Amino acid sequence: MSIRAPKDFWSGVMFIAFAAVALVAARNYSLGTAVRMGPGYFPMLLGGVLAGIGVILVIRSFIVSGEPITPVHIVPLAAIVLAVALFGALLQRLGLVLTLAIVIAISAFAGRQTRFVEVLALAGVLAVFSVAVFVYGLRLPLPIWPQ
Amino acid sequence: MDIQSYITLGFSIALTVQNILYCFLGVFLGTVVGVLPGVGPVTTVAILLPISFTLDPVSAMILLAGIYYGAQYGGSTTAILVNIPGEASSVVTTLDGHQMAKQGRAGPALGIAAIGSFFAGCVATLLICFAAPPLAAIALKFGPPEYFSLMLCGLIAAIVLARGSILKAIGMVVLGLLLGLAGSDINSGVRRFTFDQAGLADGIEFVALSMAIYGIAEVAYNLEKKEVATQVARHIGRVWPTWSDIKLCIPSVLRGTTLGSILGVLPGGGALLAAFGAYTLEKKIASPPRRFGEGDIRGVAAPESANNAGAQTSFIPMLTLGIPSNPTMAMMIGALMIHGISPGPRVMTDRPELFWGLIASMWIGNLILVVLNLPLVGMWVKLLRIPYGLLFPAIIVFCCIGAFAVNSNAFDLYVMAFFAVVGYLCLKLDCEPAPLILGFVLGPLMEENLRRSLLMSRGDPAVFVTEPISLAFLVVAAALLLVVAAPAIRKQREQAMQE
Repeated sequence: MSIRAPKDFWSGVMFIAFAAVALVAARNYSLGTAVRMGPGYFPMLLGGVLAGIGVILVIRSFIVSGEPITPVHIVPLAAIVLAVALFGALLQRLGLVLTLAIVIAISAFAGRQTRFVEVLALAGVLAVFSVAVFVYGLRLPLPIWPQ
Repeated sequence: MDIQSYITLGFSIALTVQNILYCFLGVFLGTVVGVLPGVGPVTTVAILLPISFTLDPVSAMILLAGIYYGAQYGGSTTAILVNIPGEASSVVTTLDGHQMAKQGRAGPALGIAAIGSFFAGCVATLLICFAAPPLAAIALKFGPPEYFSLMLCGLIAAIVLARGSILKAIGMVVLGLLLGLAGSDINSGVRRFTFDQAGLADGIEFVALSMAIYGIAEVAYNLEKKEVATQVARHIGRVWPTWSDIKLCIPSVLRGTTLGSILGVLPGGGALLAAFGAYTLEKKIASPPRRFGEGDIRGVAAPESANNAGAQTSFIPMLTLGIPSNPTMAMMIGALMIHGISPGPRVMTDRPELFWGLIASMWIGNLILVVLNLPLVGMWVKLLRIPYGLLFPAIIVFCCIGAFAVNSNAFDLYVMAFFAVVGYLCLKLDCEPAPLILGFVLGPLMEENLRRSLLMSRGDPAVFVTEPISLAFLVVAAALLLVVAAPAIRKQREQAMQE
């Protein structure tokens, strides 16, 4: 037996994974009664339904055929996600300007755009714009320089 | 007060210098992102959400609304001139619009798109004026069972109207509902799904989640596509259509406006569905049926009227019931909640200035859009020269700043990074993210109303079918499910989605 609908199969796996996390986490919340529903009632219900849908999707993917999944480009995805997480980790220490430079450098790498001058210009423009609009214009509490 | 004095109130608010500026900024940004492929109104609204809480609520709503309907104008420009739908809702406009441009009639195509949109926008705004107050009055009488059934019905409609597999759409809704439950439970104080993270005590931050999916994940997904070299039609010609063009288009504009207004109200509907529906209808009933797909001006007039009408009327369920019909409306609800306003029928009576100010601004916005679009069309087309390589780092940066700004908490960035991966997987696996966002917003509300209903009925679930209004919603929901399950209609739905 082989997987005929990979998109359905992996969607099913994803749903089952989320449902499993939900059901495991919710087992400690009290279910309560129908009159006084506890905090566990609705999550358990939803987790069960989600797991059911996941299972149906997985089973069906062996029977009904579907489109293949287009190749996953792991490097750009990883770079972008890393850039986002780094922004969170660095902003309060390095300030907006330096953090932006790092984020943009990594993003540019994700876009396979390696012309140094362009990246530098982009980082400059975005840093000036962000400081002017977000920090001075909208008064968001963001540090500009390292503290 | 009667409607007239409310409208006067609305204009007195929308016509302040500050609000005209925000309206202009909104429709301007809307047009820009409408023109640019790869950046849509949902992304833009998500990016601006955290900024909107530095404004007062009325201005924030005016700004965000302008982006949504402004994008409907901008999207048609690129659809016609470059054969690239700047916006998903302009996909059908490329069919006849770009053919017209090839035949040297780009001007009239742009003209009729703007005129049709303007007409539709005005009619739909009027419709909101007259339909919303009675709807809100009815909704005020709703108790928990009615609300629960209404939300269930709305979610099912959203599933039925979602593109692709219905099973996956149901899964996405349920996943959204689950994600919405994270955080402290209001009744018991128990922290659910927080995994001992302080950053999750108040639940998953809506701004971070929506930007992760519509900003970051989309960027990662778009980077995999090859950039298409754009060829802009050189000759635009006079923009004003001839009298015979206009005469030919009047019925199409009227049909598009009507259909678009109806489809916009439906959950899962909005501008996109409206445009597709209108084009299909036009092909079937326009007489003489002539040459759709070969540059028929009615093939531009109908969907462009419809998408603008749909964009406006999708505000009706959001403003009267507090229920989003599409992801943009879900974000509007998020924006209201950031300001501590809980959306629902009370908004209209408790904060009339918000409701009527927003409506009045839509009229003004539509007027600004016509002025912005027709004479300046050349300028908008130049925007297409901006390569995506310069655009996407900006999107990432704005998403990061926005996610941080909401709570000044680095944890929200990690949440955003996590859901960016989830969102990317969903896009790869053809799981529509829209039902997830709707489920996320409705999750806590549904649980609360389910609890209260069962508390009222002493645990008897029959309460949902003994209350007539609630029963009616459930019947509609069941009918919708049956309709989709019926094989004959399923085939038709699949065909319609492919077109």
